[in-house]
Amino acid sequence: MLDTRHSRRDAAPNPDPLHGVGVGLRTPHFPVVLGDRPDIPWFEALIDNYMGDGGLPVKNLERVRNDYPVTFHGVGMSIGSSDPLNMDYLKRLKSLVDRFEPARISDHLCWVSVEGDYLHDLLPLPYIEEATRHVIERIQQVQDFLGRRILIENVSSYMNYKISEMQEWEFIQHIVEKSGCDILLDINNVHVSASNHNFDANDFLKGILVDRVKEFHLAGYEDKGTHLLDTHGEPVHDPVWTLYEQALERFGPVPTLIEWDNNLPTFEILHAEAKKAEQRMKRLSQHAA
Amino acid sequence: MLHDLQYKLLQGIYNAEGSDTPEFTNSIEEGGALSPVERLDVYRDSIFGGMCKALAQIYPVCQRLVGEHFFDAMVTKYIAKTPSHSPDLNNYGSNLAGFIEAFAPAEPLPYLPDIARLEWAWHRAFYGADSGKPDYQALANIPERQRDTIVFELFPTVTLLVSDYPIHRIWQMNQDDYEGDDEIDLDQGGIHLVVWRDGYDMRMDVINADEWAMLELMKAQRPLNEIISYVLTKHPEADFSALLPRVIQRGCIASFHCQKK
Repeated sequence: MLDTRHSRRDAAPNPDPLHGVGVGLRTPHFPVVLGDRPDIPWFEALIDNYMGDGGLPVKNLERVRNDYPVTFHGVGMSIGSSDPLNMDYLKRLKSLVDRFEPARISDHLCWVSVEGDYLHDLLPLPYIEEATRHVIERIQQVQDFLGRRILIENVSSYMNYKISEMQEWEFIQHIVEKSGCDILLDINNVHVSASNHNFDANDFLKGILVDRVKEFHLAGYEDKGTHLLDTHGEPVHDPVWTLYEQALERFGPVPTLIEWDNNLPTFEILHAEAKKAEQRMKRLSQHAA
Repeated sequence: MLHDLQYKLLQGIYNAEGSDTPEFTNSIEEGGALSPVERLDVYRDSIFGGMCKALAQIYPVCQRLVGEHFFDAMVTKYIAKTPSHSPDLNNYGSNLAGFIEAFAPAEPLPYLPDIARLEWAWHRAFYGADSGKPDYQALANIPERQRDTIVFELFPTVTLLVSDYPIHRIWQMNQDDYEGDDEIDLDQGGIHLVVWRDGYDMRMDVINADEWAMLELMKAQRPLNEIISYVLTKHPEADFSALLPRVIQRGCIASFHCQKK
């Protein structure tokens, strides 16, 4: 089995093409992105949207990739599912990875399918030893197949399982250490889950080893009264900005992405949101130095 | 333990037990502002909502024809009966037309299932495989004696549709950028349609029955002599010397080869 710690990327270290604050690439913004070439350091592609056999979406992604670093972010890997890994999905992903050479490949520490039925939602895993072993093995399989290290992202959750034996951050840290993958730390998801499950978001940040966090996500949630819902449909909320500042202090100027899916605003508004994050990143990195 | 938990959640989402408190909810920790049943509801709403949104993106004209509220209620029933089997949401919803056909509240719009078929064809063509253009010079150079054996291959994005209703007009009139007259005669008679993608251009043409029959046989990769004899039997009025050039000019042929005898 190939040891991913010595995979292609690590064997010939290239300077990380990612820096600063990128935004999620969304179909309605293609005309602005391709026409105006806005001053954004990088874009994230929701890679599941490009897994068709062909057509304009992949062509547009190629046009963006010609001018910008791109990261791949997925929702379909179902890394925590008890089903076998979906090799058709991984083959499609690999062919896109080989073609576009993304700066990061990420998916979520969750499951989306069981018995071949896909629920298309980020379902939490129980924080148990069995799940830890299962996910570690699968991450290693995926990394061997892709020949690349992947990042796993913490999800927002709305329930805890009775059988869980550890905290979410302990679960993540354990998996990351043993599988050799990196972490995409979604700051909004940390806040949403901390609020929903009544834990201290700072305990989460402190529980994650500094050198494995290779990307941050920021997004807006919706306050439903009884719980916070991760909708990606609003600007980043104040408590998430505060937590982001704390994360910058702990982890340094990690490349950050603004995610916006529902109630998608104009590209200008999205761009302005990225600038807000960038100002914080610059201020706190200077502070750290 | 992991599989058991995940499978119970799946059962709980589709409420396979028909229970107010699906067995899965026993696995959820109690406490906080939501009960375990409400926590499962949060996930069910999110799952159904996401799939509903995906179908609205694939079937925007259907949604416009029946209204958002009706569409949501209709596809929610469809989703409850139709699990998704692919990680790619673009593959979900292939048989919505068949569901609509059997969905009694949609009966006042008898053309709705055919609109759904048209929208699925359009959606599949949009994401379908790319392909090159045929070498027409090479086609012209095929010796006369081999012409009977030519097999045409259509673009992989080609879908052939028939309807008793002018679904192409209904579709056009319900596009955001439509600026034309809004009169439509539902009794104008049936139509034959071909939908495909040429390069990155989406195409939809109304064609004659004889051309449609010919394209259908090409899609089945029958050799030209078989196609000619079939079309002439079914459509004795067809003028073959004009029909073949028309089919070629339509622009949905990707390649051709001569079948070996």
